[in-house]
Amino acid sequence: MTAALQAAALSVPGRLEDVSLDLGPGELVAVVGPNGAGKSTLIQALAGLLPAEGQIRWNGQLLSEIPFQERGRRLAWVGQEALFDFAFPVRDVVAQGRYAWDDDPAGVVEALTAMDLVPLADRPVTQLSGGERHRVILARALATAAPLQLWDEPVAQLDVRHALEVYRLARHLAEAGGTVLVSLHDIRAAYRFDRVLVLDHGRLVGNGDPHAILTAGLIRAVFRVEATFVTSLVPELPVDPA
Amino acid sequence: MKGRGALPLLALLLVAAFLASLAFGELRLSPMQVLDALFGRGDELTRTVIWDFRLPRTLVGLAAGAALAASGTVMQAFFRNPLADPGLLGVSSGGALGAVAVLALGPSLGLAAASLWTLPVASTVGAFGATGAVMMLAERGASTERLLLSGVALNALLGAGTSFLLTITAGHFEVNAQILFWLMGGLENRSWEHVWMGVPVIALGCALLLPLGRGLNLLSLGEQSAQSLGVDVHRLRRKLIVLATVLTALATATGGIIGFVGLVVPHVLRLVWGPDHRRLLPAAMLGGGTFLLACDLVTRLFPIGLRLGVVTAVVGGPFFLWLLRRPR
Repeated sequence: MTAALQAAALSVPGRLEDVSLDLGPGELVAVVGPNGAGKSTLIQALAGLLPAEGQIRWNGQLLSEIPFQERGRRLAWVGQEALFDFAFPVRDVVAQGRYAWDDDPAGVVEALTAMDLVPLADRPVTQLSGGERHRVILARALATAAPLQLWDEPVAQLDVRHALEVYRLARHLAEAGGTVLVSLHDIRAAYRFDRVLVLDHGRLVGNGDPHAILTAGLIRAVFRVEATFVTSLVPELPVDPA
Repeated sequence: MKGRGALPLLALLLVAAFLASLAFGELRLSPMQVLDALFGRGDELTRTVIWDFRLPRTLVGLAAGAALAASGTVMQAFFRNPLADPGLLGVSSGGALGAVAVLALGPSLGLAAASLWTLPVASTVGAFGATGAVMMLAERGASTERLLLSGVALNALLGAGTSFLLTITAGHFEVNAQILFWLMGGLENRSWEHVWMGVPVIALGCALLLPLGRGLNLLSLGEQSAQSLGVDVHRLRRKLIVLATVLTALATATGGIIGFVGLVVPHVLRLVWGPDHRRLLPAAMLGGGTFLLACDLVTRLFPIGLRLGVVTAVVGGPFFLWLLRRPR
Protein backbone atom coordinates (compact mmCIF):
# COMPACT_ATOMS: atom_id res chain seq x y z
CA MET A 1 0.00 0.00 0.00
CA THR A 2 1.26 3.49 -0.82
CA ALA A 3 2.18 5.49 2.25
CA ALA A 4 -0.06 8.51 2.76
CA LEU A 5 2.75 10.59 4.17
CA GLN A 6 6.39 9.73 3.79
CA ALA A 7 9.61 11.48 4.72
CA ALA A 8 13.12 10.33 3.85
CA ALA A 9 16.18 11.85 5.54
CA LEU A 10 14.21 14.99 6.37
CA SER A 11 16.37 17.74 7.88
CA VAL A 12 15.91 21.37 8.78
CA PRO A 13 19.30 22.79 9.74
CA GLY A 14 19.55 23.26 13.50
CA ARG A 15 16.02 22.04 14.18
CA LEU A 16 15.42 18.63 12.67
CA GLU A 17 17.93 15.95 11.82
CA ASP A 18 17.58 13.05 9.44
CA VAL A 19 14.00 12.04 10.17
CA SER A 20 12.49 9.25 8.10
CA LEU A 21 8.97 8.04 8.57
CA ASP A 22 6.10 6.45 6.79
CA LEU A 23 2.46 7.02 7.77
CA GLY A 24 -0.35 4.98 6.28
CA PRO A 25 -3.92 5.88 5.48
CA GLY A 26 -6.23 5.40 8.45
CA GLU A 27 -3.48 5.97 10.99
CA LEU A 28 -3.89 8.21 14.03
CA VAL A 29 -0.41 9.30 15.04
CA ALA A 30 0.86 11.37 17.96
CA VAL A 31 4.11 13.34 18.07
CA VAL A 32 5.60 13.94 21.51
CA GLY A 33 8.81 15.38 22.81
CA PRO A 34 10.08 18.09 25.14
CA ASN A 35 9.91 21.79 24.29
CA GLY A 36 12.17 22.56 21.35
CA ALA A 37 12.46 18.91 20.29
CA GLY A 38 11.27 19.77 16.78
CA LYS A 39 7.58 18.77 16.85
CA SER A 40 6.33 21.94 15.15
CA THR A 41 9.24 21.92 12.72
CA LEU A 42 8.50 18.33 11.72
CA ILE A 43 4.82 19.10 11.18
CA GLN A 44 5.53 22.26 9.17
CA ALA A 45 8.17 20.52 7.06
CA LEU A 46 5.82 17.61 6.29
CA ALA A 47 3.14 20.13 5.33
CA GLY A 48 5.56 21.82 2.94
CA LEU A 49 5.57 25.07 4.87
CA LEU A 50 9.30 25.13 5.62
CA PRO A 51 12.30 24.76 3.37
CA ALA A 52 13.71 21.34 4.28
CA GLU A 53 16.31 18.92 3.01
CA GLY A 54 15.38 15.36 2.15
CA GLN A 55 12.33 13.95 0.42
CA ILE A 56 8.67 14.30 1.29
CA ARG A 57 5.99 12.34 -0.51
CA TRP A 58 2.23 12.61 -0.22
CA ASN A 59 0.52 9.47 -1.52
CA GLY A 60 3.76 8.50 -3.21
CA GLN A 61 4.03 11.81 -5.08
CA LEU A 62 6.99 14.10 -4.45
CA LEU A 63 5.77 17.20 -2.63
CA SER A 64 7.72 19.52 -4.93
CA GLU A 65 5.70 18.17 -7.86
CA ILE A 66 2.31 18.91 -6.30
CA PRO A 67 0.83 22.30 -7.28
CA PHE A 68 -0.15 24.61 -4.45
CA GLN A 69 -3.89 24.41 -4.99
CA GLU A 70 -3.75 20.61 -5.02
CA ARG A 71 -1.76 20.72 -1.77
CA GLY A 72 -4.60 22.68 -0.18
CA ARG A 73 -7.01 19.90 -1.12
CA ARG A 74 -4.83 17.09 0.17
CA LEU A 75 -3.38 18.36 3.43
CA ALA A 76 -4.65 20.60 6.19
CA TRP A 77 -2.34 22.17 8.76
CA VAL A 78 -3.35 23.59 12.11
CA GLY A 79 -0.69 25.82 13.58
CA GLN A 80 0.17 26.19 17.21
CA GLU A 81 -0.79 29.86 17.20
CA ALA A 82 -4.25 31.08 16.32
CA LEU A 83 -3.75 34.82 16.00
CA PHE A 84 -5.91 37.02 13.81
CA ASP A 85 -5.14 40.61 12.89
CA PHE A 86 -8.33 41.30 10.97
CA ALA A 87 -11.87 41.02 12.25
CA PHE A 88 -13.25 38.42 9.84
CA PRO A 89 -16.39 36.67 11.10
CA VAL A 90 -15.80 33.08 12.30
CA ARG A 91 -17.89 31.75 9.40
CA ASP A 92 -15.63 33.46 6.81
CA VAL A 93 -12.45 32.11 8.37
CA VAL A 94 -13.81 28.56 8.38
CA ALA A 95 -14.98 29.05 4.77
CA GLN A 96 -11.37 29.86 3.84
CA GLY A 97 -10.79 26.12 4.19
CA ARG A 98 -12.59 25.88 0.84
CA TYR A 99 -10.09 28.13 -0.99
CA ALA A 100 -8.49 25.23 -2.84
CA TRP A 101 -11.97 24.05 -3.85
CA ASP A 102 -12.77 27.40 -5.50
CA ASP A 103 -14.88 28.41 -2.50
CA ASP A 104 -17.41 25.62 -2.95
CA PRO A 105 -19.11 25.87 0.48
CA ALA A 106 -19.57 22.11 1.01
CA GLY A 107 -18.74 21.05 4.55
CA VAL A 108 -18.43 24.51 6.10
CA VAL A 109 -21.57 24.18 8.24
CA GLU A 110 -20.54 20.67 9.31
CA ALA A 111 -17.11 21.96 10.30
CA LEU A 112 -18.65 24.78 12.34
CA THR A 113 -20.95 22.28 14.03
CA ALA A 114 -18.17 19.80 14.73
CA MET A 115 -16.16 22.46 16.53
CA ASP A 116 -19.18 23.80 18.41
CA LEU A 117 -18.90 27.17 16.65
CA VAL A 118 -22.41 27.66 15.34
CA PRO A 119 -23.35 30.11 18.12
CA LEU A 120 -20.17 32.09 17.39
CA ALA A 121 -20.40 31.97 13.59
CA ASP A 122 -21.07 35.68 13.11
CA ARG A 123 -18.66 36.94 15.78
CA PRO A 124 -15.40 38.58 14.66
CA VAL A 125 -12.50 36.18 15.29
CA THR A 126 -10.58 38.97 16.99
CA GLN A 127 -13.09 38.94 19.85
CA LEU A 128 -12.74 35.25 20.71
CA SER A 129 -10.75 33.63 23.49
CA GLY A 130 -7.59 31.66 22.74
CA GLY A 131 -9.36 28.31 22.93
CA GLU A 132 -12.21 29.51 20.72
CA ARG A 133 -9.73 30.76 18.13
CA HIS A 134 -8.09 27.32 18.10
CA ARG A 135 -11.46 25.73 17.47
CA VAL A 136 -11.86 28.13 14.52
CA ILE A 137 -8.61 27.04 12.86
CA LEU A 138 -9.45 23.38 13.55
CA ALA A 139 -12.83 23.90 11.88
CA ARG A 140 -11.08 25.53 8.92
CA ALA A 141 -8.84 22.45 8.64
CA LEU A 142 -11.89 20.16 8.75
CA ALA A 143 -13.60 22.24 6.05
CA THR A 144 -10.76 21.48 3.62
CA ALA A 145 -11.88 17.82 3.63
CA ALA A 146 -8.20 16.98 3.18
CA PRO A 147 -7.27 13.34 3.90
CA LEU A 148 -3.98 14.41 5.52
CA GLN A 149 -4.56 16.36 8.73
CA LEU A 150 -1.54 17.75 10.61
CA TRP A 151 -2.42 19.45 13.87
CA ASP A 152 0.18 21.17 16.00
CA GLU A 153 -0.83 21.05 19.66
CA PRO A 154 -4.50 21.54 18.90
CA VAL A 155 -5.73 20.91 22.44
CA ALA A 156 -3.17 22.90 24.43
CA GLN A 157 -5.62 25.75 24.97
CA LEU A 158 -8.89 23.83 24.96
CA ASP A 159 -11.06 22.97 27.93
CA VAL A 160 -11.40 19.27 28.67
CA ARG A 161 -14.71 18.80 26.85
CA HIS A 162 -13.50 20.39 23.65
CA ALA A 163 -10.14 18.62 23.93
CA LEU A 164 -11.89 15.26 24.10
CA GLU A 165 -14.04 16.29 21.17
CA VAL A 166 -10.87 17.01 19.15
CA TYR A 167 -9.48 13.54 19.97
CA ARG A 168 -12.79 11.99 18.99
CA LEU A 169 -12.76 13.85 15.67
CA ALA A 170 -9.18 12.83 14.99
CA ARG A 171 -10.14 9.19 15.55
CA HIS A 172 -13.20 9.60 13.35
CA LEU A 173 -11.13 11.09 10.49
CA ALA A 174 -8.62 8.25 10.74
CA GLU A 175 -11.39 5.64 10.71
CA ALA A 176 -12.71 7.28 7.55
CA GLY A 177 -9.33 6.58 5.91
CA GLY A 178 -7.53 9.82 6.69
CA THR A 179 -4.06 10.19 8.14
CA VAL A 180 -4.01 12.33 11.26
CA LEU A 181 -0.79 13.53 12.86
CA VAL A 182 -1.19 15.40 16.14
CA SER A 183 1.52 16.86 18.33
CA LEU A 184 0.84 16.66 22.04
CA HIS A 185 2.19 17.98 25.27
CA ASP A 186 0.32 15.51 27.37
CA ILE A 187 2.14 12.22 26.76
CA ARG A 188 -0.58 10.37 28.66
CA ALA A 189 -2.98 11.07 25.78
CA ALA A 190 -0.53 9.49 23.33
CA TYR A 191 -1.40 6.01 24.64
CA ARG A 192 -4.73 6.27 22.87
CA PHE A 193 -3.16 6.82 19.46
CA ASP A 194 -2.29 4.09 16.95
CA ARG A 195 1.29 5.18 16.83
CA VAL A 196 3.59 7.59 18.57
CA LEU A 197 6.61 9.47 17.24
CA VAL A 198 9.08 10.63 19.90
CA LEU A 199 11.35 13.54 19.05
CA ASP A 200 14.35 14.66 21.06
CA HIS A 201 16.82 17.35 19.98
CA GLY A 202 15.51 17.21 16.43
CA ARG A 203 15.96 13.45 16.12
CA LEU A 204 13.32 10.76 15.87
CA VAL A 205 14.10 8.53 18.86
CA GLY A 206 10.93 6.48 18.95
CA ASN A 207 8.39 5.38 16.35
CA GLY A 208 5.77 2.71 16.96
CA ASP A 209 2.99 1.42 19.21
CA PRO A 210 2.74 3.83 22.16
CA HIS A 211 2.65 0.99 24.70
CA ALA A 212 5.86 -0.42 23.32
CA ILE A 213 7.60 2.90 22.80
CA LEU A 214 6.65 5.04 25.78
CA THR A 215 8.49 3.04 28.40
CA ALA A 216 9.62 4.47 31.70
CA GLY A 217 13.20 4.30 30.41
CA LEU A 218 12.50 6.30 27.26
CA ILE A 219 10.48 8.88 29.14
CA ARG A 220 13.31 9.29 31.64
CA ALA A 221 15.87 9.67 28.85
CA VAL A 222 13.82 12.08 26.70
CA PHE A 223 11.75 14.10 29.15
CA ARG A 224 14.06 13.77 32.16
CA VAL A 225 11.22 12.88 34.52
CA GLU A 226 10.46 9.72 36.42
CA ALA A 227 7.43 8.20 34.78
CA THR A 228 4.87 7.31 37.36
CA PHE A 229 1.61 7.36 35.49
CA VAL A 230 -1.65 8.13 37.14
CA THR A 231 -3.76 6.10 34.80
CA SER A 232 -7.00 7.54 36.13
CA LEU A 233 -6.09 10.86 34.54
CA VAL A 234 -5.80 9.42 31.04
CA PRO A 235 -8.63 11.12 29.12
CA GLU A 236 -11.13 8.63 27.88
CA LEU A 237 -11.56 8.82 24.15
CA PRO A 238 -15.28 8.51 23.58
CA VAL A 239 -16.13 5.62 21.31
CA ASP A 240 -17.18 6.95 17.95
CA PRO A 241 -20.81 6.08 17.37
CA ALA A 242 -20.35 5.91 13.59
CA MET B 1 -24.22 39.75 4.13
CA LYS B 2 -22.47 42.71 5.68
CA GLY B 3 -21.60 45.50 3.28
CA ARG B 4 -23.84 44.53 0.38
CA GLY B 5 -24.77 48.14 -0.32
CA ALA B 6 -21.22 49.40 0.05
CA LEU B 7 -20.11 49.49 -3.56
CA PRO B 8 -23.19 51.19 -5.07
CA LEU B 9 -23.12 53.79 -2.29
CA LEU B 10 -19.42 54.49 -2.81
CA ALA B 11 -19.88 54.68 -6.58
CA LEU B 12 -22.63 57.24 -6.05
CA LEU B 13 -20.40 59.30 -3.76
CA LEU B 14 -17.62 59.16 -6.33
CA VAL B 15 -19.93 60.47 -9.07
CA ALA B 16 -21.02 63.29 -6.76
CA ALA B 17 -17.39 64.19 -5.92
CA PHE B 18 -16.49 64.02 -9.61
CA LEU B 19 -19.26 66.46 -10.59
CA ALA B 20 -18.52 68.76 -7.63
CA SER B 21 -14.86 68.80 -8.61
CA LEU B 22 -15.89 69.97 -12.09
CA ALA B 23 -18.43 72.51 -10.80
CA PHE B 24 -16.54 74.33 -8.03
CA GLY B 25 -13.64 76.73 -8.28
CA GLU B 26 -13.12 80.36 -9.15
CA LEU B 27 -15.86 80.00 -11.74
CA ARG B 28 -18.87 78.31 -10.16
CA LEU B 29 -20.91 76.18 -12.51
CA SER B 30 -24.30 74.53 -12.12
CA PRO B 31 -24.58 70.76 -12.65
CA MET B 32 -26.41 71.46 -15.94
CA GLN B 33 -23.57 73.70 -17.13
CA VAL B 34 -21.06 71.00 -16.24
CA LEU B 35 -22.95 68.33 -18.16
CA ASP B 36 -23.46 70.66 -21.12
CA ALA B 37 -19.78 71.44 -21.27
CA LEU B 38 -18.85 67.76 -20.94
CA PHE B 39 -20.97 66.97 -23.98
CA GLY B 40 -19.47 69.87 -25.94
CA ARG B 41 -22.40 72.26 -25.54
CA GLY B 42 -22.59 75.63 -23.76
CA ASP B 43 -20.33 78.64 -24.03
CA GLU B 44 -16.68 78.43 -24.93
CA LEU B 45 -15.31 79.72 -21.62
CA THR B 46 -17.13 77.03 -19.67
CA ARG B 47 -15.98 74.35 -22.10
CA THR B 48 -12.39 75.53 -21.78
CA VAL B 49 -12.56 75.57 -17.98
CA ILE B 50 -14.03 72.07 -17.88
CA TRP B 51 -12.04 70.39 -20.63
CA ASP B 52 -8.64 72.05 -20.29
CA PHE B 53 -8.42 72.56 -16.56
CA ARG B 54 -10.90 70.80 -14.31
CA LEU B 55 -11.36 67.48 -16.10
CA PRO B 56 -7.66 66.57 -16.20
CA ARG B 57 -7.24 67.74 -12.61
CA THR B 58 -10.25 65.67 -11.52
CA LEU B 59 -9.15 62.56 -13.41
CA VAL B 60 -5.63 62.72 -11.98
CA GLY B 61 -7.03 63.24 -8.46
CA LEU B 62 -9.45 60.35 -8.83
CA ALA B 63 -6.78 57.99 -10.15
CA ALA B 64 -4.18 59.03 -7.56
CA GLY B 65 -6.68 58.61 -4.72
CA ALA B 66 -7.78 55.21 -5.97
CA ALA B 67 -4.17 54.09 -6.44
CA LEU B 68 -3.01 55.22 -3.00
CA ALA B 69 -5.99 53.70 -1.19
CA ALA B 70 -5.68 50.39 -3.07
CA SER B 71 -1.97 50.34 -2.35
CA GLY B 72 -2.60 51.02 1.35
CA THR B 73 -5.21 48.24 1.51
CA VAL B 74 -2.73 45.78 0.04
CA MET B 75 0.09 46.81 2.38
CA GLN B 76 -2.02 46.63 5.53
CA ALA B 77 -3.10 43.09 4.70
CA PHE B 78 0.35 42.15 3.46
CA PHE B 79 2.06 43.29 6.66
CA ARG B 80 -0.89 42.34 8.88
CA ASN B 81 -0.49 45.78 10.36
CA PRO B 82 -3.19 48.45 10.34
CA LEU B 83 -0.53 51.15 10.41
CA ALA B 84 1.07 50.12 7.11
CA ASP B 85 0.76 52.45 4.14
CA PRO B 86 2.51 53.11 0.82
CA GLY B 87 5.09 55.32 2.52
CA LEU B 88 6.12 52.44 4.72
CA LEU B 89 8.19 50.47 2.22
CA GLY B 90 10.11 53.59 1.24
CA VAL B 91 8.30 53.77 -2.10
CA SER B 92 7.20 57.38 -1.61
CA SER B 93 10.66 58.37 -0.39
CA GLY B 94 12.20 56.71 -3.42
CA GLY B 95 9.84 58.59 -5.70
CA ALA B 96 10.59 61.85 -3.88
CA LEU B 97 14.34 61.40 -4.19
CA GLY B 98 14.09 60.60 -7.90
CA ALA B 99 12.03 63.70 -8.62
CA VAL B 100 14.07 66.01 -6.40
CA ALA B 101 17.29 64.76 -7.99
CA VAL B 102 16.03 65.78 -11.43
CA LEU B 103 14.83 69.16 -10.14
CA ALA B 104 18.06 69.88 -8.31
CA LEU B 105 20.65 68.37 -10.62
CA GLY B 106 18.83 68.36 -13.95
CA PRO B 107 19.79 71.87 -15.09
CA SER B 108 23.51 71.23 -14.67
CA LEU B 109 23.14 67.92 -16.56
CA GLY B 110 21.32 69.61 -19.40
CA LEU B 111 17.97 68.00 -18.55
CA ALA B 112 14.82 70.05 -18.75
CA ALA B 113 14.04 69.75 -15.06
CA ALA B 114 10.45 70.89 -15.20
CA SER B 115 9.57 68.80 -18.24
CA LEU B 116 6.35 66.91 -17.83
CA TRP B 117 8.07 63.64 -18.63
CA THR B 118 11.42 63.76 -16.86
CA LEU B 119 9.93 64.44 -13.45
CA PRO B 120 7.35 61.62 -13.35
CA VAL B 121 9.74 59.18 -15.00
CA ALA B 122 12.45 59.99 -12.48
CA SER B 123 10.06 59.60 -9.53
CA THR B 124 8.80 56.29 -10.92
CA VAL B 125 12.36 55.05 -11.34
CA GLY B 126 13.08 56.15 -7.76
CA ALA B 127 10.02 54.35 -6.42
CA PHE B 128 10.94 51.16 -8.20
CA GLY B 129 14.49 51.46 -6.98
CA ALA B 130 13.23 51.65 -3.42
CA THR B 131 10.93 48.65 -3.83
CA GLY B 132 13.66 46.71 -5.58
CA ALA B 133 15.97 47.36 -2.67
CA VAL B 134 13.36 46.27 -0.12
CA MET B 135 12.59 43.13 -2.10
CA MET B 136 16.25 42.21 -2.36
CA LEU B 137 16.73 42.74 1.35
CA ALA B 138 13.63 40.73 2.13
CA GLU B 139 14.14 37.95 -0.41
CA ARG B 140 16.64 36.19 1.83
CA GLY B 141 14.69 36.22 5.06
CA ALA B 142 11.32 36.89 3.43
CA SER B 143 9.67 37.50 6.79
CA THR B 144 7.28 40.35 7.27
CA GLU B 145 9.34 41.84 10.09
CA ARG B 146 12.39 41.96 7.90
CA LEU B 147 10.51 43.62 5.07
CA LEU B 148 9.14 46.26 7.43
CA LEU B 149 12.51 47.02 8.96
CA SER B 150 14.09 47.24 5.51
CA GLY B 151 11.46 49.85 4.66
CA VAL B 152 12.23 51.83 7.80
CA ALA B 153 15.96 51.91 7.06
CA LEU B 154 15.42 52.74 3.41
CA ASN B 155 13.02 55.56 4.30
CA ALA B 156 15.64 57.15 6.52
CA LEU B 157 18.35 56.81 3.89
CA LEU B 158 16.25 58.20 1.02
CA GLY B 159 14.89 61.00 3.21
CA ALA B 160 18.46 62.02 4.03
CA GLY B 161 19.26 62.16 0.31
CA THR B 162 16.24 64.38 -0.36
CA SER B 163 17.16 66.72 2.52
CA PHE B 164 20.71 66.99 1.19
CA LEU B 165 19.48 67.98 -2.30
CA LEU B 166 17.11 70.55 -0.77
CA THR B 167 20.00 72.04 1.19
CA ILE B 168 22.40 72.34 -1.74
CA THR B 169 19.76 74.13 -3.83
CA ALA B 170 18.92 76.52 -0.99
CA GLY B 171 20.16 79.53 -2.99
CA HIS B 172 17.99 78.80 -6.03
CA PHE B 173 14.58 80.08 -5.16
CA GLU B 174 12.77 78.76 -8.20
CA VAL B 175 14.19 75.25 -7.91
CA ASN B 176 13.48 75.21 -4.19
CA ALA B 177 9.91 76.36 -4.69
CA GLN B 178 9.35 73.65 -7.29
CA ILE B 179 10.76 70.98 -5.02
CA LEU B 180 8.60 72.08 -2.12
CA PHE B 181 5.51 72.32 -4.33
CA TRP B 182 6.08 68.75 -5.43
CA LEU B 183 6.94 67.40 -1.97
CA MET B 184 3.68 68.72 -0.52
CA GLY B 185 1.57 67.19 -3.27
CA GLY B 186 -1.16 68.86 -5.24
CA LEU B 187 -3.38 68.78 -8.29
CA GLU B 188 -2.84 72.32 -9.54
CA ASN B 189 -2.07 72.71 -13.22
CA ARG B 190 -2.62 69.04 -13.99
CA SER B 191 -2.92 68.70 -17.76
CA TRP B 192 -3.89 65.94 -20.16
CA GLU B 193 -0.23 64.91 -20.28
CA HIS B 194 -0.51 64.04 -16.60
CA VAL B 195 -3.71 62.12 -17.30
CA TRP B 196 -2.17 59.99 -20.03
CA MET B 197 0.97 59.53 -17.98
CA GLY B 198 -0.81 58.11 -14.94
CA VAL B 199 -4.43 57.17 -15.43
CA PRO B 200 -4.24 54.25 -17.92
CA VAL B 201 -1.57 52.38 -15.98
CA ILE B 202 -3.33 53.06 -12.67
CA ALA B 203 -6.55 51.68 -14.16
CA LEU B 204 -4.70 48.60 -15.38
CA GLY B 205 -3.03 48.10 -12.00
CA CYS B 206 -6.37 48.36 -10.20
CA ALA B 207 -7.93 45.86 -12.62
CA LEU B 208 -5.09 43.38 -12.00
CA LEU B 209 -5.41 43.83 -8.24
CA LEU B 210 -9.14 43.11 -7.99
CA PRO B 211 -8.98 39.32 -8.54
CA LEU B 212 -6.31 38.99 -5.82
CA GLY B 213 -8.80 39.81 -3.04
CA ARG B 214 -9.50 36.14 -2.25
CA GLY B 215 -5.83 35.33 -1.81
CA LEU B 216 -5.26 38.54 0.13
CA ASN B 217 -7.94 37.48 2.62
CA LEU B 218 -5.98 34.32 3.41
CA LEU B 219 -2.63 36.08 3.40
CA SER B 220 -3.92 38.68 5.87
CA LEU B 221 -4.44 35.88 8.41
CA GLY B 222 -0.96 34.42 8.12
CA GLU B 223 1.46 33.30 5.43
CA GLN B 224 1.85 29.70 6.56
CA SER B 225 -1.85 29.09 6.95
CA ALA B 226 -2.48 30.73 3.56
CA GLN B 227 0.05 28.42 1.93
CA SER B 228 -1.38 25.38 3.69
CA LEU B 229 -4.82 26.24 2.31
CA GLY B 230 -3.55 26.23 -1.28
CA VAL B 231 -2.22 29.76 -1.93
CA ASP B 232 1.05 30.12 -3.83
CA VAL B 233 2.23 32.62 -1.23
CA HIS B 234 5.53 33.49 -2.85
CA ARG B 235 3.94 34.37 -6.16
CA LEU B 236 1.01 36.23 -4.61
CA ARG B 237 3.33 38.33 -2.43
CA ARG B 238 5.40 39.26 -5.46
CA LYS B 239 2.36 40.28 -7.51
CA LEU B 240 0.98 42.33 -4.65
CA ILE B 241 4.22 44.18 -3.99
CA VAL B 242 4.79 45.02 -7.66
CA LEU B 243 1.23 46.26 -8.14
CA ALA B 244 1.26 48.29 -4.92
CA THR B 245 4.56 49.90 -5.99
CA VAL B 246 3.38 50.76 -9.48
CA LEU B 247 0.20 52.31 -8.11
CA THR B 248 2.06 54.37 -5.49
CA ALA B 249 4.74 55.42 -7.97
CA LEU B 250 2.26 56.70 -10.53
CA ALA B 251 0.13 58.47 -7.94
CA THR B 252 3.27 60.18 -6.64
CA ALA B 253 4.49 60.94 -10.16
CA THR B 254 1.29 62.70 -11.16
CA GLY B 255 0.23 64.34 -7.89
CA GLY B 256 3.34 64.60 -5.75
CA ILE B 257 3.58 63.14 -2.26
CA ILE B 258 0.09 62.87 -0.82
CA GLY B 259 0.19 61.19 2.56
CA PHE B 260 -2.38 59.32 4.66
CA VAL B 261 -4.83 58.43 1.87
CA GLY B 262 -3.57 54.86 1.94
CA LEU B 263 -3.95 54.77 5.71
CA VAL B 264 -7.28 56.49 6.32
CA VAL B 265 -9.43 55.21 3.47
CA PRO B 266 -9.00 51.44 3.87
CA HIS B 267 -9.35 51.82 7.62
CA VAL B 268 -12.63 53.65 7.61
CA LEU B 269 -14.05 51.25 5.03
CA ARG B 270 -12.88 48.22 7.02
CA LEU B 271 -14.49 49.55 10.18
CA VAL B 272 -17.80 50.07 8.40
CA TRP B 273 -17.98 47.09 6.05
CA GLY B 274 -15.55 44.50 7.39
CA PRO B 275 -12.20 43.18 6.20
CA ASP B 276 -13.21 41.00 3.21
CA HIS B 277 -10.77 42.13 0.52
CA ARG B 278 -12.94 40.96 -2.33
CA ARG B 279 -15.14 43.91 -1.41
CA LEU B 280 -12.58 46.09 0.38
CA LEU B 281 -10.29 46.48 -2.66
CA PRO B 282 -12.91 47.94 -5.01
CA ALA B 283 -14.37 49.94 -2.11
CA ALA B 284 -10.95 51.45 -1.36
CA MET B 285 -10.47 52.41 -4.99
CA LEU B 286 -13.84 54.20 -5.10
CA GLY B 287 -13.43 55.67 -1.62
CA GLY B 288 -9.84 56.79 -2.25
CA GLY B 289 -10.85 58.67 -5.40
CA THR B 290 -13.74 60.32 -3.56
CA PHE B 291 -11.60 61.25 -0.55
CA LEU B 292 -8.87 62.86 -2.63
CA LEU B 293 -11.33 64.82 -4.77
CA ALA B 294 -13.05 66.05 -1.59
CA CYS B 295 -9.71 67.14 -0.09
CA ASP B 296 -8.80 68.90 -3.34
CA LEU B 297 -12.18 70.69 -3.26
CA VAL B 298 -11.31 71.99 0.20
CA THR B 299 -8.12 73.57 -1.17
CA ARG B 300 -10.16 75.25 -3.91
CA LEU B 301 -13.11 76.36 -1.80
CA PHE B 302 -10.85 77.90 0.83
CA PRO B 303 -8.17 79.55 -1.29
CA ILE B 304 -5.88 80.48 1.60
CA GLY B 305 -2.86 78.66 0.26
CA LEU B 306 -3.82 75.20 1.51
CA ARG B 307 -2.00 72.35 -0.23
CA LEU B 308 -3.59 68.99 -0.98
CA GLY B 309 -0.91 67.14 1.00
CA VAL B 310 -1.58 69.47 3.93
CA VAL B 311 -5.33 68.77 3.86
CA THR B 312 -4.88 64.99 3.74
CA ALA B 313 -2.35 65.28 6.57
CA VAL B 314 -4.74 67.36 8.70
CA VAL B 315 -7.35 64.61 8.29
CA GLY B 316 -4.91 61.70 8.42
CA GLY B 317 -2.55 62.77 11.20
CA PRO B 318 -5.09 62.79 14.03
CA PHE B 319 -6.64 59.62 12.61
CA PHE B 320 -3.25 57.90 12.74
CA LEU B 321 -2.78 58.99 16.37
CA TRP B 322 -6.24 57.73 17.23
CA LEU B 323 -5.36 54.36 15.68
CA LEU B 324 -2.14 54.25 17.68
CA ARG B 325 -4.02 54.75 20.94
CA ARG B 326 -6.68 52.23 20.08
CA PRO B 327 -6.16 48.74 21.54
CA ARG B 328 -5.50 46.28 18.72
